[in-house]
This record gives sequence, C-alpha cells and structure tokens, in this order.
Amino acid sequence: MSCSNFDWKGYALGELDSNARSQAEAHAATCAACREELATTRLTLDALSTLREEEVPRRIAFVSDKIFEPSPWQQWWRKLWNPTFAAACVVAAAILVHGFASYARASASPAEIQAQVNQAVTKAVADSEQRQSQQLEEVLNYVAKQNQLTYKSAFYRQ
Amino acid sequence: MIFREVEDRDLIAKARRGDVEAFNLLVSRWEKRVFNYLLRLVSNREDALDLSQDVFLKAYQNLPKLDDAARFSGWLFRIAHNEAFSMLRRRRPETELADEPRGAHFDPGRGLLPVELSLAVESALGRLNEDQREAVLLKIYQGFKFEEMAEILGCPVSTVKSRLYTALDLLKATLAPTLMRGES
Repeated sequence: MSCSNFDWKGYALGELDSNARSQAEAHAATCAACREELATTRLTLDALSTLREEEVPRRIAFVSDKIFEPSPWQQWWRKLWNPTFAAACVVAAAILVHGFASYARASASPAEIQAQVNQAVTKAVADSEQRQSQQLEEVLNYVAKQNQLTYKSAFYRQ
Repeated sequence: MIFREVEDRDLIAKARRGDVEAFNLLVSRWEKRVFNYLLRLVSNREDALDLSQDVFLKAYQNLPKLDDAARFSGWLFRIAHNEAFSMLRRRRPETELADEPRGAHFDPGRGLLPVELSLAVESALGRLNEDQREAVLLKIYQGFKFEEMAEILGCPVSTVKSRLYTALDLLKATLAPTLMRGES
C-alpha cells in the first residue's frame, strides 16, 4: 500500500512540477510500498505503449477532391451572388414583369372592349360628320362665288 | 541539404486564407493520429474511417473559427471527440446488446510474445467504459496534458484525472497476470 500523499500516476505521466517531483523522489527512496506502486504503474504504462498505431486503410479524402465539388444546383445558387449574374437576373425579372403587365392590359373584359369600340365608333362618326359639314360649306361658298361672278359678268355685258 | 519543415501554424494560416493544398497537407499530417484515436474509441475500422473523414471536413469548414493556431491539435481532437460520441450515442442500444469487448476471451497462455501483449492491452482497453478509454487514449497515445484533455472533453481537470487514474487502476489489475507471466 503506497502513501496517499503522493501522486505516483501523475509522476509516471510527467504531470508533476519539479518541486512535487523532488518531494516524491525523496519519499520513494525511503518507502518500499511507494516504489512498488511506481514500478507497477510504469509497467502498466510500458505495456500500453506496446500497442502500435495502425495505418489508415485508405487516404482520407481531401476537401479539394472531386467528391466534395458542389452539385449543379449549389453551383447555380453560388453564381446567384455573383454581381454580373445578379444584374442579369434583375434585368430578366424586369422584362418578365413588363411582359406580364402588357399581357394584363391586353386581356381586358368584353364589356370594356365593347365600351372602347363604341367610343372609337362615336369619335369616328363625329369626325366624319365634321369633315362632311366642312366640305358642304366649302362647296356652298364656291357655288355662291360662282353665282356672284356670273351675275357681275351679265351686268357688265348689259 | 536542409529542408525547412513547414509548421502546422503556417499551414493553418494558409488554409484560412483559402489555400486548399495547405489544408490537404494538414490532413496528411494528422490523419493517422485522428484515425487511431477514433479506431480505439469506436472499435470499428470503417466507422473510424468515416468519422475521420467527417472530422477533417468539419475542421475545414470551421477553420476560420479557430482563434489560436497553436491549439490546433486540441481543437481537432475536440471535433473528433464530438463526432465519435455523437455516433456512439446514436448506436448505444446496438452496442449494449453486443457488449462483449474485443478480445474478451484472450488468454495469453505460457510465455509472452509482443503481439500477445498487444492483444492483452487491446482486450484490457476494451473492458474500460468509453470515458475511461478516451482518457487513456488522449493521455497515453496522444500525449495531451491534463488541461488540454479537459478542453477536448469539455470537463474539469479533476474529472479528467479521476477518469484516467481509475482507468489505469483497472488496466493495472487486468494486465497484472499477463505482465507477471511475461516477467517469469
């Protein structure tokens, strides 16, 4: 039985500071039980050290190996954060939004279409009537001028 | 010609700047130690290899979080410890059913060859519980100090010492008959 004041396992493992080591060594010189304790601890540690390290059966894959390459989806996702790619995405999105808005405008309801047609027809009729009245007025003015000329020439002949 | 040995801290610094080749070199340097630690801990070659792979992948991903390059080994073994115990916890019901330690029936017989001693040691380690075995692995086979072990295991130094000393007492008792036979 060794003396409980001394940490022989710590001593054998090299964990004691120089002061504690000196005290332990001085004690061991006079204590057979502690020498026995230290000897069996060292024998156990020596036995443990006979277990050799094994070789790694195959190389640990490097992070640069092909197996760690990101999937196409991951590559696309990473590209999304590239400024050029992101700008292209924004432009594409703007075109899509514009196209969708145009389509929405074009696809109005039948009632709205009928109203638009009616409005266009009314406008066309009004324009046509205005043009006709203008032409009629011009013709009447021309006829009136012609009548005046005829009257004047007859007067001078007389 | 004298070749200047590239220190781990140089490799770590390069790897942190994105130099993958530097990290590959770190893997080559540490894979054997990490693999053997995991092998003794989980007692299965394929599991140890898979775990080693995971350890180095996590180490690469988390390298920017390593504050002090001088503490790389402890940090790496902390990852290995976490990975191993995570797997052991998941598989505990299975391992409890198959609780016969490796080489439990080993009988050294008369005389003692080096290979027999190794088998006796392997058998004795197999009889320890996981915490005790890990303490022995980190101290005896990886040479960590108590403070470093406490960081790796995430427990106080007193707990580390308690686990290790209990393990050494058990190993001493288990190996004594074999060692006595070897001496005779």
